[in-house]
Amino acid sequence: MITYLEAIREAQRKALENDPRVYLYGQDIGLFGGAFKATKSLAQSFPGRVIDSPICEDAMMGSAIGAALQGMRPVIEMQFADFSTVGFNQIVNQAATMFWRTGESCPITVRLPSGGTPGSGPFHSQNLEALYAHYPGLIILTPATVEDAYSMLLEAIALDDPVIFCEHKYLYYHLKAESLPETALPVGKARIARTGRDATVVTYSAMLHEALAAAEELATQGWEIEIIDLRSIKPLDTDTVLASVARTGRILAVGEAWPWGGVTAEVLARVATDGFNLLDAPPMRLNSKDTPVPFHPNLWGTHRPTASTIANALRDLLRL
Amino acid sequence: MLLARVAEEKIASLFRGGRITGGVFLGKGQEAISVATGIALKEGDIFAPLIRDQAGRLAFGESLLDFTLTYLGARSGPMRGRDGNVHRGRPRDGLLPMISHLGAMVSVVNGMLLAHRFQGKTGTVGAASLGDGATSTGAFHESLNQAAVEKLPLVLVVTNNQYAYSTPNDRQFACADLVDKAIGYGVNGHSVDGTDLAACLQVISDAVRTAREGNGPQLVVASNLRLAGHGEHDDSHYISSHFKKLPLGRDCIEVAQSHLLRNGWADAPSLEVWARECAVQVDEAVAFALREPAPDPALEEWCALSHRHLAEGNPGKP
Amino acid sequence: MPRIPIVMPQLGESIAEATIVAYNIVAGDEVECDQDVLEVETQKAVMGVTSPCSGRVVEWIAQIQSSYAVGETLGFVECSEEEARRLGLDGVPPEPSPMRESLPHGFSPADAAAAPFLQSPPPQKPGGGVAPTLRGLPVPAHASGASFLSPRLKARMAELGLHAADLAGIAGSGAAGRLTIEDFEKFLSQLDQQQLSQASSMRVAVADAMRRSWTRPIATVGMPLVIDPLLAHRKNSTPKPGPALYGLRALAIALGENSALAGRLIGDKIVHPRSIDVGFAVEAEDGVLVPVLRNADRTPLNALVLRYNELVDLARRRRLPADATGGSIATVTNFGSFGLEWATPIPLPEQTLVLGMGAGRVVPRWDAASASFLPATEAHFTLSFDHRVLDGGGAGRLLVRIAELLATPEGL
Repeated sequence: MITYLEAIREAQRKALENDPRVYLYGQDIGLFGGAFKATKSLAQSFPGRVIDSPICEDAMMGSAIGAALQGMRPVIEMQFADFSTVGFNQIVNQAATMFWRTGESCPITVRLPSGGTPGSGPFHSQNLEALYAHYPGLIILTPATVEDAYSMLLEAIALDDPVIFCEHKYLYYHLKAESLPETALPVGKARIARTGRDATVVTYSAMLHEALAAAEELATQGWEIEIIDLRSIKPLDTDTVLASVARTGRILAVGEAWPWGGVTAEVLARVATDGFNLLDAPPMRLNSKDTPVPFHPNLWGTHRPTASTIANALRDLLRL
Repeated sequence: MLLARVAEEKIASLFRGGRITGGVFLGKGQEAISVATGIALKEGDIFAPLIRDQAGRLAFGESLLDFTLTYLGARSGPMRGRDGNVHRGRPRDGLLPMISHLGAMVSVVNGMLLAHRFQGKTGTVGAASLGDGATSTGAFHESLNQAAVEKLPLVLVVTNNQYAYSTPNDRQFACADLVDKAIGYGVNGHSVDGTDLAACLQVISDAVRTAREGNGPQLVVASNLRLAGHGEHDDSHYISSHFKKLPLGRDCIEVAQSHLLRNGWADAPSLEVWARECAVQVDEAVAFALREPAPDPALEEWCALSHRHLAEGNPGKP
Repeated sequence: MPRIPIVMPQLGESIAEATIVAYNIVAGDEVECDQDVLEVETQKAVMGVTSPCSGRVVEWIAQIQSSYAVGETLGFVECSEEEARRLGLDGVPPEPSPMRESLPHGFSPADAAAAPFLQSPPPQKPGGGVAPTLRGLPVPAHASGASFLSPRLKARMAELGLHAADLAGIAGSGAAGRLTIEDFEKFLSQLDQQQLSQASSMRVAVADAMRRSWTRPIATVGMPLVIDPLLAHRKNSTPKPGPALYGLRALAIALGENSALAGRLIGDKIVHPRSIDVGFAVEAEDGVLVPVLRNADRTPLNALVLRYNELVDLARRRRLPADATGGSIATVTNFGSFGLEWATPIPLPEQTLVLGMGAGRVVPRWDAASASFLPATEAHFTLSFDHRVLDGGGAGRLLVRIAELLATPEGL
């Protein structure tokens, strides 16, 4: 069995092995192996290519951009997605605009350990995919499975455009798979994680698993729910979403991030415009509450969508 | 220096003739510092100029056409109309196009030097130009610290022209002299009179050589006075007149010209000939750029990704 | 000699205009290229505006103390052709030149037509006029309720040519009893189990017209009329007018006397008809056609007969010309010819009145003079009307007037 975290480590190992242009840069990733051990033993296996950085997210990102311009393929580990905002300027104003302004592509990969775990609190829990997706010039990935954590990270490193790789901390050790895949769906394609008939749930990352559990519950009541795992937030596979809504007529978009301007808002906007005549009920979404992520597990437990709140939302949707 | 000065005066005139959209930023008074940096760098080095580095850019090898094409918004310029005025460069040639956030370019230079190290390219240097204002930013701090920790061959040329837009030094930093910061980062500091071309050539080449020899980052602080507005839309009325009377208020071109004349290395007529030749070169470059077509939105690709198949176009139009 | 404009520069990113403070050069004077020719003031500073070329300032348009927008022409400098060419101000397209080859990375020059940078950008669409905010049918105010039809359902209905009225009577399982797409598809699939026959296009057209008619509140009044005078008159006429023509002529005269009765209610206005054009129903195949007699109030009965007969014949043969139908304000229908005594016809969507004539039959009527029942030929006349425009009283009086007119058919 291999965990989601080990899959990420394996992908980095493979990239370091196969491409001399790849190097890893982040805080505590060298001998220590990273705050979550995502790079454990890689510094030993690839001396000089797994580098500890000072605490300087702006310079971490800026130097990645410079190295990429000179032909390297840096993989930057932000210790927590929440700290990436210190380097936000470099990501959105330098990396994302480089190709547009100069014609030179910027092949960096930024790994953001994202999402909440019990007790992680407001600054170790954030989901920032919508923030980065808003800026033109970036590719945003949100793997929900062990297999995708592996194959999508490899693809991210191979892509010439800057990639924001949002890995979910809760899934690191909770999610396991039998083995790593040989093939995968490409970036930009969503996956139908569960086929259904009565309603479509569009979701990504850790919420996929909550949605699957909700679908199981509803199945006992005779409802068959179709679930789509977006995999990439940007580009977003609108076609797969619309095809599913064409079959079911109802959509619930679920995201762990906050509601305003989130991925779920974008999904619903597209469905409302391009699939207006497919809808048999108003499009719905479910997100975390519009407050910073709470610390106490009691509060945290109700702050984000869970299998039961997703099931309730689905029952409301089905009643319409 | 002369070419830079003449070129910038022409652009300033075009600005006040309504020919230029957006800002115009002049390096008047900074030519000596800038050109010394450009001259000290070699092929294969990296240069991240800022807004007053026309002289340095020319010395590093940038074509005068890049200057006129970008300012005049021609679509054949290096930025193709997508960015303008001083926000231009050619990364492949080691000349970085700045973004407006001050201090942000330094870590990009660091990254390029790291890449050289990975690639086994030795003996290269990366220089970044900064002003006194930029030294206050977090980006400056993080980058210099990072370069020091990695012992990169980075040369920071900080021009203290006494004002960051309208902000004088005593509202920008509290240390007695910017060069004192070098100690804090664990790097070498160098000071130089920015109005003296000979001194600039000496000190900056020295710093570049020291870096090239593997002694880690070098912080050069050159002092002068900004002899133009922050941009050409600014009349700099706030610049204290007492600076203009100090040696650091001198025009480095005039100082250099006196130096040449005094030492008999050139005579007045030659200086005039040079000035005229520069004017002709500039007029030609401007005329050429004025004839070039402007960007056409209908022909634009409107794609910010190099992988076109991953670009989303215009989602939301049914 | 080329005249080069002196334009107001943009002297700062958010600056939109500036005020002229002073001229440095008067019209007629010579200037050098890049020389300051006038001074302008913005909120931020006073700045000089430069001449684009060497030459003579020929004209100042701008006035001192007036403000001008960025890009406006302030004056003109005349210069030699050679000067214009040297400075690239002649607007000549780029030629192959050594300078172009010196451009690094070989940027290829664009297409044939070079637009000098100074040209203004493509004109913006004018922003004038306010577009109406509502078009077509109003949208239901809330999403729940039996009247709500989802976008998906509407799209499916549109595919099949159905309307909301067609769906009445199908049970809905959605919120507050609304019809869901599943309910609808189930209904359609059950239809296949029943006998189906093809509806003609005439049938579908009439169905659509009746659906649209029925959106109004229609009411009917009726009374029996003695038609012996009419029958006698008819017997003595050559050619014989159809019975419906008598009803039509009487209706037309009555409406000519009071056209408000055939008016349409638009907002708070009754729109009177322009002319009393009355139609009459003719059965054709599996539908009904309604040819029209124009200005029927002004044309006596005997003058209408030939035209009437002609139209009946054309209608039966489906050969009515376009101008013979449409535009009528009322219709007369003689369903008595089918043997029906009484019926409640529905006015066409564009009309508010329809007069129906039932079959005549001999009945005993009490005659007060002889204190006995005497035979008389009676036919029921019914008048269906749009109750928004007319009430029972008005409709009744109209019918009474028609009865009066039909009692003396020689006056028609």
